[in-house]
Amino acid sequence: MSHHLVLEDVTHRYGREVAVDQVSLAIEEGELVTLLGPSGCGKTTLLRIVAGFVRPSEGRVLLEGRDVTRTAAYRRPVNMVFQRSTLFPHLDVFENVAFGLRIAGVPRGEVAGRVTEALALVRLHGFDRRRAHELSGGQLQRVALARALVNRPKVLLLDEPLSALDLKIRLEMEAELRRVHRETGATFVYVTHDQREALALSDRLVVLNDGRVEQIGTPDEIYRTPASPFAARFVGDANVIPVEVVGADGSSATVALGELRLATRRPDGVGTGPAWLVVRPEVVRLAQNEAAGVGGIVRDLAFRGTGFSYRVDVPGLPDPIKAEMSAETAPPVDVGSDVRVTWDPAACGLLPRDATRD
Amino acid sequence: MDVRQRSPLTAAITLAALVFLFLPLALVVLFSFHKTGGLSFPFTGFSLRWYRDTFGSFEFREALKNSAIVAVCVSVVTLLLGTLAAYGISRSSSRLRAPVGLLFFLPITLPGLFVGIAMLVFLRRVGFELSLLTVAIAHFVYTFPYFLLIAKATLDRLDPALEEAAADLGASPFKVFRKVTLPQVWPILVGATSLAFALSFDEFIITFFVIGSDSTLPMFIWSSLRRTIDPSINVISTMLMLITLLLWVFAFVFTLRAGRRRTPAVDPILGEGA
Repeated sequence: MSHHLVLEDVTHRYGREVAVDQVSLAIEEGELVTLLGPSGCGKTTLLRIVAGFVRPSEGRVLLEGRDVTRTAAYRRPVNMVFQRSTLFPHLDVFENVAFGLRIAGVPRGEVAGRVTEALALVRLHGFDRRRAHELSGGQLQRVALARALVNRPKVLLLDEPLSALDLKIRLEMEAELRRVHRETGATFVYVTHDQREALALSDRLVVLNDGRVEQIGTPDEIYRTPASPFAARFVGDANVIPVEVVGADGSSATVALGELRLATRRPDGVGTGPAWLVVRPEVVRLAQNEAAGVGGIVRDLAFRGTGFSYRVDVPGLPDPIKAEMSAETAPPVDVGSDVRVTWDPAACGLLPRDATRD
Repeated sequence: MDVRQRSPLTAAITLAALVFLFLPLALVVLFSFHKTGGLSFPFTGFSLRWYRDTFGSFEFREALKNSAIVAVCVSVVTLLLGTLAAYGISRSSSRLRAPVGLLFFLPITLPGLFVGIAMLVFLRRVGFELSLLTVAIAHFVYTFPYFLLIAKATLDRLDPALEEAAADLGASPFKVFRKVTLPQVWPILVGATSLAFALSFDEFIITFFVIGSDSTLPMFIWSSLRRTIDPSINVISTMLMLITLLLWVFAFVFTLRAGRRRTPAVDPILGEGA
């Protein structure tokens, strides 16, 4: 029981709606863990349960081994950075950051030092006397970060703190958050619906869907070996193609996609029968004047700077195949063209499929 | 160029309306300075004698004092209970929140005559002797909904996330109110309190039923009217008008200033009002 923050079978219902369903998690000290999922997946509710704003219908929250499930928010040694700016408009930056320290009765002399230190940490030196309306969106969130960290919380909670910012500021703030996390060594629990942000920031990811945990792992693990079609689609924006495994032999398998037979790696637990083939867009190749792969028609083409992203309709498949191709290696293929779609079988994943359910 | 038509007719109608509204008031003020006892034209000259007479009258000073005592008590109690009620209703998550709020506002819609009779019957029934206390209680019933309306609207507009942030930073519910909620709304509460004061200060109908043997300023005017008609009535009316006007202006300016102070709370990220 040396975990820093533990959620045990946490369930929360709003009326009949189950927002969080039997979530169990163990977070280590100093980790940056992201709760990732689409809106309505229960990630914010889960964060608010840790903060103490929401009391879970069932389950327990343990902080350093102590049960805090029934502890009021203001008695919990955790602090939060909110999605929107929540700086107190009647106080300047210094007093906003000092708020928690003053409430806690920290001696005056110490307050000034710690506030200055916290503002330096978020690179807002000299902003002490500014008010909220004199700050940019990015600066507001820096103050919010300083205001939370100055209290040296056991866990820092961040509820989509960058979602209201412009892309450029957001990328800058991501780097800032990584730096602040490194420098403070604090435990961060970060909520976002942005998979790119989650992959960029986290030590570990918790992928949530419909209030349930789909997968927990490092960004690399989840990106390379998603444990569910949802995780594959949400995190890697992968193509998840229904196939039949027609041959399983040790670590390799043969899958059937229409008339096509493809060799691929076989993970444990996948035998013959229906399965999902997971193909990330960047391993898909489109070719013209070739016979390999499956045939399709290009439906959409978008320039992405480093390359092109395509959507290709393939007869017999429920969803179009997404492909990302570098601008250097291949000339763009026009919308409406007939193409052959191929991919590197070694770079694909295989997931069990319950044919009766999907 | 301004596309709106500037019709001389519109200007004339506007002017006529303003004259209709303010001429009687102006005449009251004018004749309070009349040299003779006449209350209608011709105006024969200025004098302060009616002011001297009025302020020299013991009854007037007594009525003024009573009005002030009642209004101060009423506005203080309204401020305290009204703020608590508004905060409670505004922050409640109960399903009864809306109906309860509505019940509190209901007295606004009742005719003063009805409230007066109801208060008289009720206060006598529970054993109160009619006095300034009964006047204050009845006035409170009258001013409370106005105060609540303003206070609740203000509290409803505050961003609940600010209070949540304060709690997250370790503030107990009481400290959240004192350190985050109150500093943002107090100018509006002060404004609403001075409105309560003004409402109580010149209230007549309800007072008429529950006053007993004491007198307030409006009661004094009324009883003077029944005895003699001379410009001292105008003097008292002018004083009453002046005090009420000053309070309304004070309330207005304060609320306006609070409104301006609140503007920075508009979220620069989302551009939403806080």
